[in-house]
Amino acid sequence: MIAGHFGFAAAVKSRARSAPLWMLMLASVWLDVVFVPLFIGKTETMQLVLGHHGYGAGIIHADYSHSVVGMLLLSLLLGLVSWPFWGGRNALVIGLVSVSHWVLDLIVHRPDMPVIPGQPAGWPHFGFGLWQYPLAAQGVELLLVLGGAALYWRAARNVSREAGKGPFWPALSAVLIAVFGLLVLWMDATS
Amino acid sequence: MQFILGVFLFVVVAGLVDARIPWPKAKPGRKAS
Repeated sequence: MIAGHFGFAAAVKSRARSAPLWMLMLASVWLDVVFVPLFIGKTETMQLVLGHHGYGAGIIHADYSHSVVGMLLLSLLLGLVSWPFWGGRNALVIGLVSVSHWVLDLIVHRPDMPVIPGQPAGWPHFGFGLWQYPLAAQGVELLLVLGGAALYWRAARNVSREAGKGPFWPALSAVLIAVFGLLVLWMDATS
Repeated sequence: MQFILGVFLFVVVAGLVDARIPWPKAKPGRKAS
């Protein structure tokens, strides 16, 4: 899941209006941003489920970036870094958006997210496995993208109206969020 | 690859287009919204 996280960030922006959208977008994929260099360095790995390929076919061993403890620490770090720039309330929102990444991943991942890196045998791995049903998972992402863009557009239009501005930029921004979200979803789904 | 492109595109959109909308400014210690 990639596009769905961005859609969720757009929805959050509609409520946390002084939090920068780009930071909310970054927070929504922060765990994956950390995952990329760890994956390149082979600290974290991915394997395909036997007989599957493409969208949602991976079992992801992201024990540092996507474990419960790793996720909480990374989210705390992002919130703390955000605090001086955008205040405590926005820092909390940004940290929680980072946590939301894990929650949304929980829905789609197969059970591959541990409590701690290198945890003892018998400890649980989390993931409800919606990726086993790719169309359903893509449907969830589609709803997040379109719903997030719609909520963002409504809030942006209201803010612009209150400031005596026209509807052009809110509409353009919301359309771009929706179009890019759909593009990312399409690229992910056809990978 | 799509991840990197996606992040780049969204940051560009957020940074350039969203900045044209008169959202309330955030200040340290000030509540969101």
